[in-house]
Amino acid sequence: MRYLKEVFAARELLVNLTMREVRGKYSRTLFGQLWSLANPLALMVIYTFVFGFIFKTEPDVGDPSGLDAFALWLLCGLLPWTFFATVLNVGIGSLVANTGLIQKVYFTRIVLPLSNVASSAYNWLFEMAVLVIVLSIAGAFVLPWVPLMILIMLLLAMFAAGLALMLSIANVYFRDTQYFLTIILQIWMYLSPIIYPVSLVEQASKDVGGLLGTSVSLIDIYRLNPMDHFITVFRNLLYDNRWPDPVEWLVCFAWASITLILGVLVFQRNDKRLAEAL
Amino acid sequence: MSDIAVRVNNVSKKFRMYHERNQTLKSTIMRGRRSVHEDFWALKDVTFDVPQGSTFGLIGSNGSGKSTLLKCLASIYFPNEGTIAHKGKLAAMLEVGSGFHAELSGRDNIFLNGSILGMSKKDITSKFDEIVDFSGVEQFIDQPVKNYSSGMFVRLGFAIAINVNPDILVVDEVLAVGDQEFQDKCYQKFQDLREAGRTVILVSHSMGTVEKMCDKAAWISHGTLRAVGDAAPTIQAYKDSLSSNS
Repeated sequence: MRYLKEVFAARELLVNLTMREVRGKYSRTLFGQLWSLANPLALMVIYTFVFGFIFKTEPDVGDPSGLDAFALWLLCGLLPWTFFATVLNVGIGSLVANTGLIQKVYFTRIVLPLSNVASSAYNWLFEMAVLVIVLSIAGAFVLPWVPLMILIMLLLAMFAAGLALMLSIANVYFRDTQYFLTIILQIWMYLSPIIYPVSLVEQASKDVGGLLGTSVSLIDIYRLNPMDHFITVFRNLLYDNRWPDPVEWLVCFAWASITLILGVLVFQRNDKRLAEAL
Repeated sequence: MSDIAVRVNNVSKKFRMYHERNQTLKSTIMRGRRSVHEDFWALKDVTFDVPQGSTFGLIGSNGSGKSTLLKCLASIYFPNEGTIAHKGKLAAMLEVGSGFHAELSGRDNIFLNGSILGMSKKDITSKFDEIVDFSGVEQFIDQPVKNYSSGMFVRLGFAIAINVNPDILVVDEVLAVGDQEFQDKCYQKFQDLREAGRTVILVSHSMGTVEKMCDKAAWISHGTLRAVGDAAPTIQAYKDSLSSNS
């Protein structure tokens, strides 16, 4: 509890560090904040061409929104994923990158990874706002779902923050972690329903049947991936414009809160040793 | 007790000297252990009190443990044994300008660095003019700090740190920077702090500085406390030990 109070007391520092990241990132660029859109747009073009046009992946038509566009369907899952991957990629190095600061000044160290989460969230919020506008233009009645979208964004940010806290500590002791992460994130992305719909996995699972003679099927294992649930909720809200299954909400909430609590605990146990370990 | 600002009680600090440091997973798994190391006591059973309102100098040769002690005071390191208690707000200046963001302007960096040092936005706003004035970089305050000369950089960092207005200020060898004029300004500022009843703890290799500024001093050698008390006799004892060695 005392630790949480300390973190709360450092909120102003958190804001300032976040602004440092946000302002520093696109300073001296011609397009500024627009660069934040460049990466997801490039991915969208590539995936739409390869999976939408060549492989002819056909996600279900938005129900009840009636949307039928692979690119938009893709973005509803891709933007949350790129945020998640960015938080982990940047957050994991946040302590090592600030070695000088940690060894010279005392402050609540947890603000370093958290400020990375916050600055990535700032960019993400910008991307999602653009997506909501585009979806509205395309004919989806998405505005009433915006408050719930912000709620699930918050849950995903909590989940990502918890993982980033643990990874940043692990990376102090083992610098291999960051290289591992790059590979794991690639695998993880293809194991999540981002560029293909879950229905394809369900189909494949049915074809295979129970694994090794048990009643456990492929889809049951697939569903253990928390990102599957997050992406499903995002798509339900944004692309389909309907209520996600309450169970999905519950699963997301559980993953988010447990990961965050675990992350804070791990961080708290290690933060006094950081100056020496770095 | 009321007039003691910092109480250092039986503080010991141990470091590990690694013969092979396993920072990769591979070596950890292959050898089945994290590391092979030997303990090195940088500080051994150091005890002293710093009276409130004094300027306290820490002296000793290189590698004697002064900076380790300072880092323990600043809560950057945590002693393995013993305790350090202090009364009031403590600010440490172990390196000026750490945490500056090169692309941001001097103005933004004042707010950023101030909040790292524990000032609230309100504090910084009210102190802003004083900080800028003290640093003498008014003209360039809206320029990115990467364009600052190293002197300007350090002066700005110092000006922020000294305006945190702590009850206890911990300073490491940072006074050697800046031109004569700026150094005089710093001495004046320390004087003001002392008159306001604040405590200053500083590390310096320059005996001249310590003699000029400190009224109390502690001499540390190889991690143990050799002498503590009024500045003049402590410095004399340290100097004697140096000349007897040579």
